[in-house]
Amino acid sequence: MTAIVANSRQERWWNSRTAHRFMNHHLALLGMVMIAILTLACVLGPYVLPYDSLYIDLRARFAPPFTGHHYMGTDPLGRDLAARLFMAGRVSLLVGFSAMLLSTLIGTLVGVLAGYRGGWIGTTLMRTVDGFLSFPSIFLVLALAAALKPSPMMITVVIAATSWMEVARIVEAEVRSLREREFVQAGRMLGLSGTHIMFREILPNAVGPIIVAATLTVARAILMEAYISFLGYGIQPPLPSWGNMLNGAQQYLGTAPWLAIIPGAAITIAVTSFNFIGDGLRDALDVRGDHS
Amino acid sequence: MRGFLLNRLSQSLVLLLIVSVIGFVVLNLIPGGPLAQFGLDPSMTQDDLNRLKEQLGLNRPLWMQYLDWAWRLVQGDWGHSFRDGAPVLDVIGRHLVATLLLMGSSTVIAIAVGTWIGIRGATHRYSVFDYLATVGAMVALSIPTFWFGLVGIYVFSLRLGWLPAGNMYTIGDGSVLNHIHHLIMPSIVLALVHVAIWSRYMRTATLDVISQEFVKTARAKGLSERRILMKHVVGNALLPMITLAGMQLPSVLTGALVTETVFTWPGMGRLFLDSLGYSDYPVVMGLLMFSAILVVLCNLIADIVVAIIDPRIRLS
Amino acid sequence: MTKDSTTKSGYSRRDALRLMAAGGIACFAAPNLLGKPAFADTANPTGRVVVGLSQEPTVFHPLMAHIEVDDAVHFSLFDALFRIDPKGVLQPNLAAEVPTQQNGGISEDGLKWRVRLRDDVRWHDGEPFTAEDVKFTLELITNPNFRAWRTGGHSLVRDITVVSPTELTWRMEEAFAPYLSFLTETFMVPKHILEKEADPNAAAFNQAPVGTGAFKWAQRVAGDHLELVANPQYFGDGPYIERLVFKYIPDMTVLYTQFKSGDIDLTDQAYITADHYEEAKTLPGRVVTLVSGASVESIYLNLEKPQFKDPAVRKALYAAMDRKAIIDAIYYGVGTLTETFMPRTSYYYNPNLPAQEFNLDRARQILDEAGWVPGPDGIRAKDGVRLSFANSTTSGNNLREQVQQFLQQTFAEIGVEMTISNLPAAVMFGEFWLKSQFDSAIAGVTHLIAADPDATNRLATSAIAAKGGKGSNVGQYSNPEVDALLKKGAQTFDPEARREIYSRIQEIVREDLPFLPLFAATYVVGRKEGLEGWEPNSNTRTASWHAAGWRWQS
Repeated sequence: MTAIVANSRQERWWNSRTAHRFMNHHLALLGMVMIAILTLACVLGPYVLPYDSLYIDLRARFAPPFTGHHYMGTDPLGRDLAARLFMAGRVSLLVGFSAMLLSTLIGTLVGVLAGYRGGWIGTTLMRTVDGFLSFPSIFLVLALAAALKPSPMMITVVIAATSWMEVARIVEAEVRSLREREFVQAGRMLGLSGTHIMFREILPNAVGPIIVAATLTVARAILMEAYISFLGYGIQPPLPSWGNMLNGAQQYLGTAPWLAIIPGAAITIAVTSFNFIGDGLRDALDVRGDHS
Repeated sequence: MRGFLLNRLSQSLVLLLIVSVIGFVVLNLIPGGPLAQFGLDPSMTQDDLNRLKEQLGLNRPLWMQYLDWAWRLVQGDWGHSFRDGAPVLDVIGRHLVATLLLMGSSTVIAIAVGTWIGIRGATHRYSVFDYLATVGAMVALSIPTFWFGLVGIYVFSLRLGWLPAGNMYTIGDGSVLNHIHHLIMPSIVLALVHVAIWSRYMRTATLDVISQEFVKTARAKGLSERRILMKHVVGNALLPMITLAGMQLPSVLTGALVTETVFTWPGMGRLFLDSLGYSDYPVVMGLLMFSAILVVLCNLIADIVVAIIDPRIRLS
Repeated sequence: MTKDSTTKSGYSRRDALRLMAAGGIACFAAPNLLGKPAFADTANPTGRVVVGLSQEPTVFHPLMAHIEVDDAVHFSLFDALFRIDPKGVLQPNLAAEVPTQQNGGISEDGLKWRVRLRDDVRWHDGEPFTAEDVKFTLELITNPNFRAWRTGGHSLVRDITVVSPTELTWRMEEAFAPYLSFLTETFMVPKHILEKEADPNAAAFNQAPVGTGAFKWAQRVAGDHLELVANPQYFGDGPYIERLVFKYIPDMTVLYTQFKSGDIDLTDQAYITADHYEEAKTLPGRVVTLVSGASVESIYLNLEKPQFKDPAVRKALYAAMDRKAIIDAIYYGVGTLTETFMPRTSYYYNPNLPAQEFNLDRARQILDEAGWVPGPDGIRAKDGVRLSFANSTTSGNNLREQVQQFLQQTFAEIGVEMTISNLPAAVMFGEFWLKSQFDSAIAGVTHLIAADPDATNRLATSAIAAKGGKGSNVGQYSNPEVDALLKKGAQTFDPEARREIYSRIQEIVREDLPFLPLFAATYVVGRKEGLEGWEPNSNTRTASWHAAGWRWQS
């Protein structure tokens, strides 16, 4: 949410010192490991478990965890919660990741354009960024989600449409500070096109902060998806997502608390992991600033 | 200074204009509209709905509706709620107290706890406490607020029965104690994320100050650690936080909205969701503008305060 | 036009309304509704009742466009000319008697109406209530600048004449029997206050209403609750409680929790959720009642979609619905099987309709015989139309979403593909619903207006809004025989004659299956032990229709 002022660096971000620092960041490593496990479980889980995530069995509804082979219990329609959780993980992680890619793309484009061009284009773009940022983000998300037909694609677009601003700010600040540097001036004198300078010369120098912001955006996007789906505006049943598994769980909080606790824990683990990774990357890449 | 102020002011106005346009367009993109609430009422015929549409001015082109709304707003008329017909400012005012109470108490918690954790983390850098605080902050930032609220309700209301599951007070018992009893859980839930953010900022800010020359000088002069901290560190570190407070506002509002939903708190977040649900355009737009104005004001004040204290900023 | 049919049934029999009333009185007593002389001051109202609502009442001008939940407040603050009792019988309220063709209140052609009023009614501010107020009220509804609720029926009223402070007459543009019922939900507003207002839509009255009802306005804490106090000068029986509080609790779980903890004395709509019914029954000091509602939970089909044009498809889908499993498992047994849109409690309910039978083989057979053959993907098709459709309901409605997913699985077994596409309520019931843009939808649909059996707005060809019609026939059902019967029914005043008409309509609709009924809505109403005088009334839209009669057991 804040403009992150990055130290401009000439060296490439993937030099061994950076990699070394990242590997020494225990939390980041932990995050990587957890994400790896989670991803693996979501990819393989549905094949290993004895139940289909969509199979309804009304006789087996509300089975608590560890009933027979229902290791995480069943939901109000008697579907296996573990199978649904991993299936949901695929959806939620995919939505989070795609939303990150899309919003980073938009944010980078806007940021580069605004930072390099400056002038009225830059001002207009950055004021628009400010405008988007002064909304309680939930408004835009809910309104857009209500306006569009819900599907994983649409949810991705909605989340991306409301989370590109931070990347834009970061990139804009970075590019603005790089614009007047010698190598850019040199490029200009050599007669290189604006596009070339923007994307080939300046952008690679801003990659560090972008990666950090992108990682944190994944975390944010997963949270967003969860909240939209929790309110019923997001991923539609029978396709499970961590968020829509929580939808309705409040109703059964007294009688079947595992319905609320398990998916929520999954979200927390995934989001925490991405935040850990982001933090590690920030230290490793020596990007100053904070995420919020 | 005057030029600086005018510049910032005009930028703020442009910002409000952009916010209002985006809000209005997005709001009108939502199909359904204010009459959907009568959709299941068999007695509301299409004729009735068309008549209401005309009476509410919704059959006009969108740009005309916007200009009409904006022109009235400039004159100080925020319009009337579609639902209860009351002036929008009245409607917002009625819900403001509840939200202020919630936001206020959670901000107090966030600042108090966050500042303490931050400073302690910075002065005891790399200690177990610092490490736990860092990890804890990260986890706190990752927990979905609504889920945290649900778990809280499950544990403290349904299982232990210590705290109420929702509402601001028990009907017929308006005592302060009753209010506080109802306030505990929602304000802690809302504060969680902000404790994390504040403590991180406070830690960084304190570290910055500690490393500066004058602190070293003060220490050399033999001043006690505690006095140095109180006088220099906190004083200096709080400065950037004014800016932070302004920028935090939308996220605090979002958090309040989510928290109010989970704890059935009768505040602006509740009003916002309800108004959105009924497509009560005047109230939703009113709330958006209200929060945008607050954000802009906070940023403006922060800019001015910072500019007064540190004149170099003005140049950039 | 169809005048002969009206007159034929209009007066050849005894006044069946009277007949019904007589039957009703034997087992039901609502002293204040029967126009007994007031003994209001005998009771010294004590105690407080807190009613929990899951939506917030916001419209307090009873004639302005409002939703169900506002009724709870209107019924306590205001009075109408007549009220409808739990048996479906009209009782005089502000009127001295219910006008009928028998007592001469309604002319034989149904066009001239005369209403006599009580002479002992005062507004909460002490002004007397007169025929001028009635005239003002009826004229306000059709005032083009006023954001009125339903204008149906009212728009037919002409030449309102105040004969005396306690009597007025008017003429109807055409005979319209349901108007009598409509008047039970038309609350009278004070002329002396509202006539001074330049804009009736923004009157101060709207935030601090003045009525004649058993309770007076006290205060409102927006977003939280509103409070009414006893009107000791009430002309009818009661009130016995001193304070009536309507508490807004947007979350159903919290609503139930607060009922359990005793913060709420009565759960009004949306009542207690079905999954809490079993537990609620066992709570000490609480009484839980199942109340049948007027709406029918059903799968509404958009009959203009090629998949649903073939009656065989509708029959097959109906046979493939395991309604019992749905009610028992998903709704915890709360819900009653029904074959018709008419509420069970209605005088016009037809109990002799063929019962649906869950039978997947039969469903497959129907589709086979009709030529719907499974394609390579297992989904049936005929003449290039795949038997695949979307089903929509309000997103976030957990139980309905469970029903959807359950049906999706069973429908797949007979080679029918149902996809789920849910929308927020505010989106769903806009044009998507009103202009028939859905394939199929699950909704709790009410067909009657103010408990009158006339379902023209839902079933008549002229009511298809998507085709420029006037009503809310969103399924686009069209059957000339039903159209004719509906027209006849609306112009017939004699209840027995009307019963025949509406029984026949129910038969045809059951045969045509324009929508597939899941169950008749049943509400779980909970109240604290010791709260006496509460009674359900499915002819109204609220459980708080008669707070005047509530009292705490001493």
